[in-house]
Formats: sequence, C-alpha cells, structure tokens
Amino acid sequence: MLKEVHMPKLSPKSDEYFFGTWQKQPGDAVKQGDILFEVETDKVISEVQSQEDGILKAQLVDEGAATKVGDLVATIEVNEE
Amino acid sequence: MKDLHTKTVKQETPKPTWLKVTYDQRKVDKMTHLLDGLQLNTVCAEANCPNLGECFGSGTASFMILGPNCTRACRFCDVPHGRPAPVDLLEPTRVAMATKKLNLKHVVVTSVDRDDLPDLGADQFVRVINEIRKYNPETTIEVLTPDFQGKTELLDRVIAAKPDVFNHNMETIRSLTPKVRYRATYDTSLKVLAYVKAHAPKDMFVKTGIMLGLGETDPEVYQLMDDLRAIDVDFLTIGQYVQPSKRHYQLREWVPMSRYEQYYKEAMSRGFKFVASSPLVRSSYKAREELEAVYGK
Repeated sequence: MLKEVHMPKLSPKSDEYFFGTWQKQPGDAVKQGDILFEVETDKVISEVQSQEDGILKAQLVDEGAATKVGDLVATIEVNEE
Repeated sequence: MKDLHTKTVKQETPKPTWLKVTYDQRKVDKMTHLLDGLQLNTVCAEANCPNLGECFGSGTASFMILGPNCTRACRFCDVPHGRPAPVDLLEPTRVAMATKKLNLKHVVVTSVDRDDLPDLGADQFVRVINEIRKYNPETTIEVLTPDFQGKTELLDRVIAAKPDVFNHNMETIRSLTPKVRYRATYDTSLKVLAYVKAHAPKDMFVKTGIMLGLGETDPEVYQLMDDLRAIDVDFLTIGQYVQPSKRHYQLREWVPMSRYEQYYKEAMSRGFKFVASSPLVRSSYKAREELEAVYGK
C-alpha cells in the first residue's frame, strides 16, 4: 500500500520551511525512525523521521525548495501485514 | 497558543550543520494533544524553542504561567509582547495536575514579565509552587523568574515557597544588556541572584543562563562568570542565540563548539556546581541533570 508523507509542523510559529537534503533515495528501504530528510525551519535544522516501514517510492520536493506544512513530500510503499 | 503562520526566512548567515535536532512527529503530536487538553502555555511553544521536538518527544515540557503575553519586549525573545491576560487562579492547580499527568520528576515553571500587576506576578509563582508540592511531593521544582524589578519583598515571597532551584537569567554580558533586554539591567539581575542566594535555604540552588552569538567577547564572558561567582551562583547554562525573526536582535555569530568547551572549563574552574554549555542548551533544557549532578543520582 502506498502511504503519503506530508510535511509535519516542525516549529510552533512557522509554517513554511526550506527543504534541506534527502537522506533516503527512491528504492531505499526505510524503517520507522530512520531519518528521511532534513528541513531548515526558522530556528534549527530538523531531521524528520519516517513513521513507516517500507520502500521510499518518490521524492516530491526538491532540495532547497520552499515547502509548507501539509505539503506532500514523499510516498512510501508500506510493507503489507 | 497563537499561530502566527510566519515564514522561515533565509538568514544571511546560514545555520551551521551542528544546529540540528531530530523530530518524531508521532511523539510530538501526542504531547501537543495532551498539553492542549490541559489549557497551559509552555515556554517551549511560546518561545518557539528548537528543542521542542526532543523534549516533547521524551514527554517533558516547561510551563509558562501568567498568560501568553509579556509586558516587556526584549529584542532577543520570541514570546509575544502585548496586552497581559488576567491572572488565572485555577492555573496553579492545572500546572500541578499537568506535572502529575506527565509524571515529571523535575518541573520548570517560568512566566512572562508582569510589570502591570502590583505583585509583578510573584504570588502566582508561590501558588503554583504550593500546588505542585501538594499533588507531587517527590517532584523537584525549578522556577525561572522575571527580575521582579529587584523588589526584595517579592523575592522573599518566592524564596519562602522553597523551590529547589531559583533561576533568573542574565541573558548576556554587561555591555550588551541594554541592547538586548528591555527594562532590565545587568545590575538588577545580579542583585536578584545575590539576594536569593543570600536569603535562600542552603539546599536551594541559584541558577542563571546566557546566550552566545550576540557579539560578546571572551573577557566579557569571563567577567560575567566572575560576577556570578562573587555572589555564589551555583548553576550556569550557556547556549546559542537563534534570531527569531528579522525584527529581532541581529545574530552576530554562530559560536563554534570549541568555544562552548572552553567556557565550560573556565566556568567549572571558577567553582560553579553545574555548567551546561552547548549550542542547543536553553535554561530549562534537561534541567533535572543539574540536580543529578550535585546530588550524584
């Protein structure tokens, strides 16, 4: 099953961030807790963890791009039970 | 909590790679939901703390009492300046209940400045300390207070409530204080710390914190350390200033890790009982560690 990864709210006072670097590439296996990507918020560089086990299918945001809370960032093919 | 929906603005000095935190959305959402139900402000959210993800993720938070708006407009601070809220007499009980619900072994209570109130907010600190104690007798309590305009009768009231740690932040060195803080002076803050140390029970620790990256020099930081040790301040926190927005005090420098290590050594050699010196250190970050350090547990 394909699961969508959306940009989480990383900062209480800011809803728009700069996308940093991808830490996983399409086709990579990801586990819950693995760092998927980095984002620069108003205060800090935030490493965002995967909430799923599966295979990263698509990266939907470019490194360095402006991104908003809720934006579709990636898709993960989740391991079926 | 106010949602200001601001944008992250690219700063002229890019963030160093070591200013990095890890974010686990599920854990943070769970904590945010829990806190929303408690109708309390946290300094974590109001000051937009970079450690929010880590602290919320591990089930800890620092409460900010007396409303979300501050009567002062310090140039470094992200807490909103505005019309202060009426004093909420149920807030002390809610803080006590939240402490219990989160099972906090050490709780940090801070507030906005309340220059509008006759007691400047001191009595609410007392009520909060008493309520926390009533429902959480094992929990150690740390207060991070305003300067109460240096009024010793107000400091006496808070001291009499016997928090375990009395924290009041110097924020920066002497020469930068008028540029960075508002209606607060270096000497008033020093006087507050000196008074508390001189009048508090022996087992109450006195703590302060400063930010780096505002333009301070080594000799000025060492002078500050000497000023603090001359009045026997116990704990010192040192962390990197992160400019909240373009309207705030301009960041001068991302201070390299080596300087934090240097300041740690200099501070410890001057006799502080506990020093936390690292870019992401904030006043209440992992505050329990200071008591673990002095009590060896």
